[in-house]
Amino acid sequence: MQLEILTPDKTLFSGDVESVTVPGSKGRFQILNNHAALVSSLDKGKVNVQTKSGNEQFEITGGVVEVLKNKVVILA
Amino acid sequence: MANLKEVRTRITSVSSTQQITKAMKLVSATKLRKAQNAITQMRPYAVKLNGILANLSDSIDVDSLNIYFQTREVKNVLLVVISSDRGLCGSFNSNIIKKASSLVVEKYAGKNVTILPVGKKGSEFFSKQQKMKVTVNTEYRDTFLQLNANAGFQLGSYLLDVYRSGKYDVIEVVYNQFKNAATQILTNDQFLPIDTKSIKGNQKAKNDYLFEPSKEEILEDLIPRILKTQIYRSLLDSAASEHGARMVAMDKATDNAGELLKALKIEYNRVRQAAITTEISEIVGGAAALSAN
Repeated sequence: MQLEILTPDKTLFSGDVESVTVPGSKGRFQILNNHAALVSSLDKGKVNVQTKSGNEQFEITGGVVEVLKNKVVILA
Repeated sequence: MANLKEVRTRITSVSSTQQITKAMKLVSATKLRKAQNAITQMRPYAVKLNGILANLSDSIDVDSLNIYFQTREVKNVLLVVISSDRGLCGSFNSNIIKKASSLVVEKYAGKNVTILPVGKKGSEFFSKQQKMKVTVNTEYRDTFLQLNANAGFQLGSYLLDVYRSGKYDVIEVVYNQFKNAATQILTNDQFLPIDTKSIKGNQKAKNDYLFEPSKEEILEDLIPRILKTQIYRSLLDSAASEHGARMVAMDKATDNAGELLKALKIEYNRVRQAAITTEISEIVGGAAALSAN
């Protein structure tokens, strides 16, 4: 599944991932392959990205996540 | 006729000015590239935000829900005037100031207008002038010293706060929109209340999304974010425009200096020639007088 983490300053991450865990405003949740289409607001916290080659972590201060057809976009 | 030394001094001074303008042009070109880069970087973010909003506003009535869409009777107006910190960029700042002044005098005549200048040039003008009865708030004057998303969002938050608190009924932004290096479009946009058409766009959503926690709550988060992004975008546009304007102005100045130098060199040669001619004729005259004797 494709993931993009965008901020107004730059693109933080762009690429293929196995899963991503985000700080949703109603609690943290994980997005895996073939997740249903979703829009959720995010709180301040950490975004954990799991790729084939390892883990990556990003700090965000709130935002929105959109999931559509195996494409995840996080607007931080 | 000017003497040799005078012409020589002028040539030196013009050519050193030319060197300065040439250097400034090159510096502006580099800064322009950077500023353009920043605009390109934020574009996907803005596009995506608007896309999500289009999905949301398709199914619920955004207008009635959100305070930012509701118009009030206009008494207090806030004008955000985005100019630059430095001069020597052609008519960049004077255009902005003229536009803002005309808004104060014509469109918002009789209202309480507060000016919030961003950039020193606009701030200097509005602080000094006394003809227009406006209040000047210089709190965000130095935003350009360190322009990044954070600074832009801070300004955005401030604007949203004062609008929500009812301190101002209309907020309008005057800035130079960036088209290309040589062209800036002088723009005044109503920032709040939101003109519904401008933000929704015509996109029709076709996807069935799950919304978490709820559409309304996402909207609460999304709309301020979009507005802040808009302000940040105006700042970036203005910064890029400034460097573009300066580049063009300095390019012209360099050309003009070149022309001036050409004319001065001709003048210099003419003066030199005249001096030599006089000298020769004096010598010849002297020799002739001697041989006659």
